[in-house]
Amino acid sequence: MRTIAAFAIGLALSAGPVLAAGAGDSDAEREARWGEIKQSVFKDRAVEKTDTLVSIDAPARALDAALVPITLTMPQKDRVKGVYLFIDDNPSPYAAHFEFGPAADPSEVKLRVRVNNYTNVHAVVETKDGKLHEAVKFVKASGGCSAPMGMSDEEAMRGMGEMRLKFGGDVKPGQPVEATLMVRHPNFSGMQMNQITRDYTPARYVQKLSVAYGDTPVFTLDGDISLATNPVINFALLPEGRGPIKVTASDNQGGRWEHSFDAPAVSN
Amino acid sequence: MALTRLRHPTLQVAAAGLAALLLAAATPADSPVNVPEPEGYWTGPPRGYTPPTLKGATVLDLAGLEALLPEKPVLLDVVLEERRPAGLPADRPWSPTHRSIPDAVWMPGAGGAPLPPEREKAFLSRVEALTGGDRSKPVVTFCRPECWGSWNAGKRLLQAGYRRVYWFPSGVEGWQDAHETAVAKPDPAWAASAGADR
Repeated sequence: MRTIAAFAIGLALSAGPVLAAGAGDSDAEREARWGEIKQSVFKDRAVEKTDTLVSIDAPARALDAALVPITLTMPQKDRVKGVYLFIDDNPSPYAAHFEFGPAADPSEVKLRVRVNNYTNVHAVVETKDGKLHEAVKFVKASGGCSAPMGMSDEEAMRGMGEMRLKFGGDVKPGQPVEATLMVRHPNFSGMQMNQITRDYTPARYVQKLSVAYGDTPVFTLDGDISLATNPVINFALLPEGRGPIKVTASDNQGGRWEHSFDAPAVSN
Repeated sequence: MALTRLRHPTLQVAAAGLAALLLAAATPADSPVNVPEPEGYWTGPPRGYTPPTLKGATVLDLAGLEALLPEKPVLLDVVLEERRPAGLPADRPWSPTHRSIPDAVWMPGAGGAPLPPEREKAFLSRVEALTGGDRSKPVVTFCRPECWGSWNAGKRLLQAGYRRVYWFPSGVEGWQDAHETAVAKPDPAWAASAGADR
């Protein structure tokens, strides 16, 4: 009981004005970190704060830091050219960049990431006019980048490059179709130690993932070591395209995989 | 959560439940299995369930640490430094950051075992400086849950004759659950002792 009571007091203190000075330092440090990340990726381009162009949904406290679900919602989808995701306190903060094509409905994408420590997560939308807009969410999870896979590397790599593509709901003409893409790939972060040999498994991650409806791009995704094992991407596509849906994945060690899926059947 | 990444499926479930409990109460990382204390230092895999005790030292939960803080103990963080992964393309930025308990001294890897003699010496002389040579000054060792480094570091201090050694097994995670953390840089004197290792 004593522990729980003390914990409650701790929470109350950290939320109240008593520790405001300390919290301010911490906020300033986090802001400085974000400033450095922005500078390294966007150079001197201005990044405006937004409440409307993108919002991040993530569990405030993740059960598994190696598999934190992130949803990016972009209601003004017609203005969106692409979106970046950063996990500020990960050693490699750049987690993902989606660039949407004409066959995409970018109003919502979901992916699963690794989170190394309690951190701000930033999404930056690039609108078609070339401007950048940021939103932020604090996520409590830690140890996700270095969490061992719980299996041998060989086991983790079995079936690498296999893919599945599923569509949700009825497909109506003119309506966007929800799709879930699953790619089997260990996405080794390079920070996972083999507990027996004590060697680190070298980084091997999905660097690029492209989805096209026939010849029309849906999106390309630049990934990094923060993407979780066996990437799962939820997105929506517009059913106007022709031909099969082609998915191409490549990793940083020369792996390349291509699969073709039947387009969803339209029901009237 | 490290606790959920276990091999055994039933343990996984148990650990997930336990992790939820731990997070809710911010207690030290009680092991779901009864891990006995090794004779000397732990020289096995650095990650894994740790014993509930460290003979000669006091095991702290968050409330215990909070109660000790007014005495201004030396806070020793031995979390390993993140190293740039092999295979990461050269054009990918690598900028690890480490957050710790405010005012902690971060000596990455100081809980390794065995430590090269010169590093062991560097560790002890650094702690001696931090305690002003007073073996009765409280010293708290920590890293993360399921990390043997802080257990070993505490053991090392006990063997060097420190009389008030505290081990805070839930570490940075246990702290940040209720309190702000601060960005920590490796202790310069400790880092310098690594010399060509780094």
